[in-house]
Parts: sequence; structure tokens; C-alpha cells
Amino acid sequence: MKNDELYIQRAIRITSTDVFINGTPFAINKEENSTWLTCIYRTLGVQYPKFFKMDNLCKAGFLATELIFKGTDIRPEEEKRDWSILLFNKSSSLDNDQLYQETINDPNNYFPSPSVFVYTLSNIVTGEMAIRNKIMGETCSYITEKFDADVLLENASIGLSQEKGIHHLLIGWVEYLNDHCDVLLFLVDRKSDGALTSWNKTNIEKYFFIPLQPHDEL
Amino acid sequence: MDKTLVQELKEEIIEVLNLEEMKPEDIDASAPLFGEGLGLDSIDALELIVLMEKNYGIKLKNASEGKEIFRSIEIMADYISKNRTK
Repeated sequence: MKNDELYIQRAIRITSTDVFINGTPFAINKEENSTWLTCIYRTLGVQYPKFFKMDNLCKAGFLATELIFKGTDIRPEEEKRDWSILLFNKSSSLDNDQLYQETINDPNNYFPSPSVFVYTLSNIVTGEMAIRNKIMGETCSYITEKFDADVLLENASIGLSQEKGIHHLLIGWVEYLNDHCDVLLFLVDRKSDGALTSWNKTNIEKYFFIPLQPHDEL
Repeated sequence: MDKTLVQELKEEIIEVLNLEEMKPEDIDASAPLFGEGLGLDSIDALELIVLMEKNYGIKLKNASEGKEIFRSIEIMADYISKNRTK
């Protein structure tokens, strides 16, 4: 399949300070004593207690998916047999791996945490997104050196495999390390009607390099 | 029943299991921890086993013991008060 037959339906950008839906800033209610990701979760009014058990990488991917579906008629509880997920990032699950390491550093205080351990793989984020939204197609995550629009561009047509009956693809960059959040998630398919824009390098980069907003400190 | 220990356990469980939306008073000490109660899962069970050892010096001989001990916070508190080494 050629990339010029694909279209971006939704584009979500989450940085450490900003959220954008389809390129438009989305205001987050900031609360003292809450993390940035928790503030986004509470602003969205989602009821999904498992969110608080996730590592930061999974939280970031989870929230990006919630934002993808926000304002659409797509419901999380509907089975999505023709959907796939394809993610890339640089730091794998290192943010959580460091937390796990802290639980086993001291031989005299050696208590490996099972709930932290289960997130010491970068592909768990695709699983959390799939479980929440009943996405039944294939899910993959890859580690790359940096964000590269060409990599997303080339792989979308593979993810949207007509042979496997996949019609909708969540594809993007989901990176989280040491309080630095860097997420770009697209919903891509073949429908031109109502699409946001075409799936090409210029448009992918437009949503990644979106200018951030000025902020007042809390 | 040791009410101080029950309260302490509620606070510890909220913290280690990341039950962020819950307060100690939301938890019924006699309600089942798994299934219809707090709805905990198998990873939570492992985390409770770690909590028992780390905070109270109780090392369960096998994980299946937890099935009985973790029936409710009251039962857990009773077991801890009888077996704790710290």
C-alpha cells in the first residue's frame, strides 16, 4: 500500500508541559501534589483505577489513546478487531527499570517489587492500550535512536495490513524518561472523508514540532 | 482486633498497591480484598506478600497461604499480630 493512500484522522501530542489534540492546545487543570500525567487523567474525567498502577510510559500511552478517542463516537468497550498498534521510542522502559533497580539495590533491604517488575518491558504500553480499548489486532513496539518521521511513514503501511484485515492503526512515538514526556500518537487509516490531513512526512513533523505554549509556574 | 494495625494496613495497602483514588475510610476491613471487594489481582497478591515480609518480618512459606491470610484486612491484621517479628 502506498502512503499517499493513507490519512491522519487524529493527532495527539503530549509533552512535559502541553497537550494538543489535532494541533490545538488542550487545557489541563493543574493540581498541586499531582503529577503531570495524573493531571491529564483527572482533566479527562476518566474512571480507570488501573491507570494508577501503570508505569509512566504506560500512563503516557494510555492518555494519548484516551485523547485520540475524545470527542469521537469510538468507545473503549467496543471490540476493535481491525485495529493495530505500532509504537516507537528511544528509552524503552528505562524510566520504570530505574525504579525497579531501586528495589533491589541494597542487599540488606532487598524487596523486588512485583508490581514495578511487570512494567520492565517497553511493549507493555501497547498491551495496556489494547486492553483498555479492546484492540484485537497486532501490537508492536520498537526502540529507535530518535524520533524519525520517515520511520513512522514507512511502517504505517505495514501496520495497516489489508491481508490481515487491519483498517485502523494507532502509530506514534511514546517516550518517557525522568519526568520528560514526549508523545505523538496518530490514528491513521484509508478514509479520506473527514480526515485531518494526508499521511506524509511534512504532516507528521508538523504535529511533532508543534510550538509549545507559554506557561505560568504553579 | 487491633484497630491501629488495621488502620496502618489500610494506609500501607493504598500506598503499595497504588489505590490512589481511595482513602482508608473507603475500605471495609471485613470486605474481601480480592474479587468483589477491592478487586485486587494476582500481582497485588504478590505485592502483599512483599509487604508482609518487608514491614512485619513475616515470610510466607508458600504463596497459597496468602489465599487464606488475604481474605480481608481484619484477617490479615489478626495473622500479622500473631506472627510478626518486627
